[in-house]
Amino acid sequence: MNNISQDLLKELKGNGADYFTSVPCKLLGDLINLLAEDQSILYTPVAREEEGLGLCAGAYLAGKTPVIVMQNTGIGTIITSLFSLGLFYNLPITMIVSHRGTPGEKIGTQVPMSNATMPLLDTVGIPYFAYSDPGDVKNVGRLVQHAQVAQRPVAALLDFDFWGKA
Amino acid sequence: MTYRRYELLKDLAPIMVDKALIVSNIGFPSQEVYDIQDSPKNFYMLGSMGLSSSIGLGLAQSLVNEDDPQTVISIDGDGSVLMNLGTLSTIGNYGPKNYILLLVDNGAYGSTGDQPTHTSGRTDLAGMARAAGIESVHVTHNEGTKAVLEQCMQTDGPHVIVAKVAPGSPKLKPIPMDPGYIRDRFKLAIK
Repeated sequence: MNNISQDLLKELKGNGADYFTSVPCKLLGDLINLLAEDQSILYTPVAREEEGLGLCAGAYLAGKTPVIVMQNTGIGTIITSLFSLGLFYNLPITMIVSHRGTPGEKIGTQVPMSNATMPLLDTVGIPYFAYSDPGDVKNVGRLVQHAQVAQRPVAALLDFDFWGKA
Repeated sequence: MTYRRYELLKDLAPIMVDKALIVSNIGFPSQEVYDIQDSPKNFYMLGSMGLSSSIGLGLAQSLVNEDDPQTVISIDGDGSVLMNLGTLSTIGNYGPKNYILLLVDNGAYGSTGDQPTHTSGRTDLAGMARAAGIESVHVTHNEGTKAVLEQCMQTDGPHVIVAKVAPGSPKLKPIPMDPGYIRDRFKLAIK
């Protein structure tokens, strides 16, 4: 278990997050294990990112503060619903996104989507913030608050250096 | 008379509208729910095809630990569930007791001109729901759905009702409501 995942979950919860859903990524393994064990939150793993966005929407409508934990490749599958659910209804959903294909990556097929991730988020109009230093973990946690202010989905892009796995 | 989704929703409205939180599917289904009986407890999902079941699931999970939790009914369709099949496995493993998926199966993509879906062929969504781990799965036809929904609302779920109806829809207008209004009205109605 690395400390960055423990610290990140503590910061997210400290900023009010109480509903989590996830689609796996190697970089997110420790965080997902922590979510599954944490009795103080609601947590549901899902089969695909769009499903997770739907769960987060429902949780928000019921008064929860939702977070989706996912890999950047999932941005490709989630775009239509970011438009027609997340942005259309102005839903504050924090997206904790592992940024594969960044330096430290060992799998070549991850690189093309890695390069497209920021331009895609720009096109959709999702505010995003990229972090490469584990020391930024408090800033990542603050995005839960920022999503409430922005009244829309907000994404953190967290690369290999952030997770200490470069 | 042909018994379509509209006739079904009209029969069900007295037992579910205002009594449960309803998430209604994109396109004609939401327009029909709105036309039959609008309520602040209806969330009209105007986009994001496939996610009606997921939105309802997130709602129900978030409310289930309250005293006397409200029932959540996701009104979904065969074409929409086929677009988000993973949802059945998530409901099978994480569906709470106050959740009902009312899957109106008319074998057609109704909002786009009644092109056939695979359920009009060999595919059985009730069988898929059972295989996904959901224990309470009911297949109903036409007027028979009402009694089953009533029973599901009084017992612990998660429940899935596959309600078979004929394709086709009356001509209705788009819902004249701003999405922000639908959202905030619904949020306030939950409290």
